[in-house]
Amino acid sequence: MADFRLEAEIRTEFGKGSARRTRRAGRVPAVLYGHGQDVVHLSLPAREFAAALRNGGSNALLTVVIDGKDQLALTKAVQRDPIRRIHEHVDLVIVRRGEKVTVDVPIVVIGDTTPDVLVSIELNTVSVQVAATNIPESIEVDVTGRGVGEGFTVADLPLPSGATLLTDAEALVVNLMGAPSAEALEAELEEAEAEAGIEREESDEAAEGAGEGDVVPEPQDQGSGESIESTENS
Amino acid sequence: MLIPRRVKHRKQHHPDRGGKAKGGTAINFGEYAIQALEPAYVTNRQIESARIAMTRHIKRGGKVWISIYPDRPLTKKPAETRMGSGKGSPEWWVANVKPGRIMFELSGVAEPVAREAMRRAIHKLPMKCRFITREGEV
Repeated sequence: MADFRLEAEIRTEFGKGSARRTRRAGRVPAVLYGHGQDVVHLSLPAREFAAALRNGGSNALLTVVIDGKDQLALTKAVQRDPIRRIHEHVDLVIVRRGEKVTVDVPIVVIGDTTPDVLVSIELNTVSVQVAATNIPESIEVDVTGRGVGEGFTVADLPLPSGATLLTDAEALVVNLMGAPSAEALEAELEEAEAEAGIEREESDEAAEGAGEGDVVPEPQDQGSGESIESTENS
Repeated sequence: MLIPRRVKHRKQHHPDRGGKAKGGTAINFGEYAIQALEPAYVTNRQIESARIAMTRHIKRGGKVWISIYPDRPLTKKPAETRMGSGKGSPEWWVANVKPGRIMFELSGVAEPVAREAMRRAIHKLPMKCRFITREGEV
């Protein structure tokens, strides 16, 4: 696992005004705790922290340098702004080398199934107890050549040595389902279009794949929308 | 089309358009998603139209989740009616969508296919939206 070193600075002022000043300065407010130690309020360089998570995944083992001393840490909780997509605040938990930690490891599906099979990921992460220095970035599930009904449960997952599964072993992780037939899908879509009053133009049907598919016509009158009375009567 | 089975009040006040989404801002089920960047009332016809556009493009592969629900009625007075005489009759069912809200999720297809399918779906929606992936959400 790559080593991500982050130069941290101790925060001495708190509150939203201070946090906003920290973010404007290109740093992320953070807090470090664990192992019965006193809570330490820090700020991390935003760019390096984002790169660490991008390259190492959400369970990246971070080396936080505080006043010249190294401290291993994992991210416990990350707050992000959903629109600007910046990291707003980070909770870091102290870990020690060789210590076993519980982390949620993401599942990644690789390979191609047999034709007409839909791959549905039922569990996006599994809970694993593993040494802090040996956390897998993801667990790969190879679906090559698999058919309908040949899904994977938690027990089927390949785990790194020394790792213990905490998620129920019988839980379904990847489900392989039969794709609907082309006729069934077309019938379902046409029924939905008819119900919603959506009309497709012939020119659009011919050009499907190149441009826009269907056209929603303007309502004919003000009463074209569904009204509660009509729902109740039906 | 999505319509509530029963409601406590037939006519409601207009939903609040201000603020940002408080929840529903992370991808929970699929690998790709459409995220709203502006506030809007999304009607059940628009939701259905976007879903159909997406499903037609991905054809038989992939699975679509809709994570908004049109549970707010909007009313309209008939045309050429004098003011007064009470509130108009319910005409539309809308979802009150705020910036940051995940509206549709998709999985089971390659990213270029998902991107194109969601681009088509975004054209059916009344606000600015963007395509996001689960990987980019870390």
